[in-house]
Amino acid sequence: MAAFPPLAASRVRISPLIPAAAMAGTAGAAAASYAQHRRRFCAIVATAAASPVPAAAAAAATGFDFNAYMGEKAAAVNRALDASIPADEPPAALHEAMRYALLAGGKRVRPALCLAACAVVGGREAWAMPAAAAVEMVHTMSLVHDDLPCMDDDDLRRGKPTCHVVYGEPIAVLTGDALLSLSFHHMARFDSYPPDIDADKHPARVVRAIGELARCIGSEGLVAGQVVDLEMTGSTETVPLERLEYIHLHKTAALLEASVVIGAILGGGSDEQIESLRMYARSIGLLFQVVDDILDVTKSSEELGKTAGKDLASDKTTYPKLLGLEKSREFAEKLLSDAREQLSGFDQETAAPLLHLANYIAYRQN
Amino acid sequence: MALSSFSMSLPFAKLPSTSKSTRFLPIRASSAAAAASPSFDLRLYWTSLIADVEAELDAAMPIRTPERIHSAMRYAVLPGAGNEGTAKRAPPVLCVAACELLGAPREAALPAAVALEMLHAASLVHDDLPCFDAAPTRRGRPSTHAAYGTDMAVLAGDALFPLAYTHVIAHTPSPDPVPHAVLLRVLGELARAVGSTGMAAGQFLDLAGATALGEAEVMKVLTKKFGEMAECSAACGAMLGGAGPDEEAALRRYGRTIGVLYQLVDDIRSASGNGKMRSNASVLRALGMDRALGIVEELKAQAKMEADRFGDKYGERVLPLYSFVDYAVERGFELQDAATTP
Repeated sequence: MAAFPPLAASRVRISPLIPAAAMAGTAGAAAASYAQHRRRFCAIVATAAASPVPAAAAAAATGFDFNAYMGEKAAAVNRALDASIPADEPPAALHEAMRYALLAGGKRVRPALCLAACAVVGGREAWAMPAAAAVEMVHTMSLVHDDLPCMDDDDLRRGKPTCHVVYGEPIAVLTGDALLSLSFHHMARFDSYPPDIDADKHPARVVRAIGELARCIGSEGLVAGQVVDLEMTGSTETVPLERLEYIHLHKTAALLEASVVIGAILGGGSDEQIESLRMYARSIGLLFQVVDDILDVTKSSEELGKTAGKDLASDKTTYPKLLGLEKSREFAEKLLSDAREQLSGFDQETAAPLLHLANYIAYRQN
Repeated sequence: MALSSFSMSLPFAKLPSTSKSTRFLPIRASSAAAAASPSFDLRLYWTSLIADVEAELDAAMPIRTPERIHSAMRYAVLPGAGNEGTAKRAPPVLCVAACELLGAPREAALPAAVALEMLHAASLVHDDLPCFDAAPTRRGRPSTHAAYGTDMAVLAGDALFPLAYTHVIAHTPSPDPVPHAVLLRVLGELARAVGSTGMAAGQFLDLAGATALGEAEVMKVLTKKFGEMAECSAACGAMLGGAGPDEEAALRRYGRTIGVLYQLVDDIRSASGNGKMRSNASVLRALGMDRALGIVEELKAQAKMEADRFGDKYGERVLPLYSFVDYAVERGFELQDAATTP
């Protein structure tokens, strides 16, 4: 079975979501987004039919409309993100840069994971929406700083010029800092949440969720991954597999883990449920990066929305470089299997979004 | 209201940090007679607090994998072996003084006080970057980007921000005596203060401040860049101390005012060769010395007016607030041998 079945050559690239201000174009973009997702969903179904998927998961796969789910969640998250940035408060130019970075498109995978985790433990979407917005702010912030000249020095992100290219380095630094602060402020605010939260348990849950997010993105989480990644770039020594895994568990997987875990916390999940979902998240987190590395050597810049081949060009260590393309694909399959296993204890209908998100991460094309 | 049941007064002597139970003494019978009370030893209070804060900062940031980033974070926050890089820790003083004013134990406020230093350091590390002030030195030694590289300086700041939140969550005694709801408000306040309507706004305005500025614009930069952190410090102390809404609002105004006052006096001393300018916006350049001195008097009066609100109810516990105002204006003592601006 091919790990990554090719899509039709005639596939048309859909432009990223446009800022909310351009309302006239929103409906068209959303419709186009659905069309794009539909083609991927067909690939997923074809693959699922050819693999030994558990009966319950297969039933969920055939009954669940993943593309509609993702479109709906992305739209809801975009509304929440747009509402979270001060509209009229100065400094207008800083808030404009924050909007540019935040609303420049993106599939909202991390927010979708957060909302799906909240649902699978029995929570309402509105309980986790502030956290879903927060993880996207943090993700965007890490990209804005990662793109800076002193870091990865990227000019292209999601098919658009990067924040520092458009606004200059100083504003890009401040934009990242401001998005990071906004993520925690947004989660901490009482009026971010609906009235039906459990008033007694809510504050402790949010405090715990904030602690989880802060830990995952700090000097032993996301930042640690970025540090080691920078240290490895240009190094002439062979990087061992465990070092590569460290980088990706920290740089990418940590935030995916936080996304899932804080959704489960805010949804009122038990400690056991939260830990199962944590293990699911770690598997798909590493899977995300392995696939990212594979795509970097197999797709063009336009298809990816970022500069392709850059990791090889800048001599960064990647799975295909270390393991070869075939072994990298095998590793991706194992990670996907591990992720599915962690969801076996949940109601399969409610877990369908998480199962499909794992498949989506594994089989995505950009 | 979550006031502590402890009977206490403010520490008038440096107490060993390992004997926290001995820190609080019974209120003297004459405490109600605030007008007749002895003067407050701010230097002793402040240096004792610096010791507590730096001990906790040291414990909060051990060197772990990856070592380089943790070294850079420690460098940004802690003084070096020869006392170079010494910080005044003004935000923690405001935070703890506000909390203790209301009768709560220092333990309730210390984690937030430490977090304020982490957030402050994170903002400074980014503010010193080559694309901003390009400050090659900070507090008498190479700045973090000069010592560790620009990439590590960006990441050190990015890591100090979340560390502040994890520190408050892990170390604040909660839910007793600090309810989770109060802790959550403190976290929100910390995030707001360094965000796009707080310090980041000040940094942004400072960037744009290459053009000539009038009084309103200059004061706005100072308020955002320095007043926000001071307001946050006082507000966090107020919340952790169990303040009511009016008390919190008064302490916010006090903090904001004294933050601007402190920086304005630094600006004036800098013109006299006694300090180090830390903002591109300059009241002196915009308005001249006479107007600057006039504003100092206005701010001093405003801050004391806010402190007056607490005298009747809290007696001598309000003394640190008055002393801090006087210190901001007069700089009557040096905190450390190599003391420089915070």
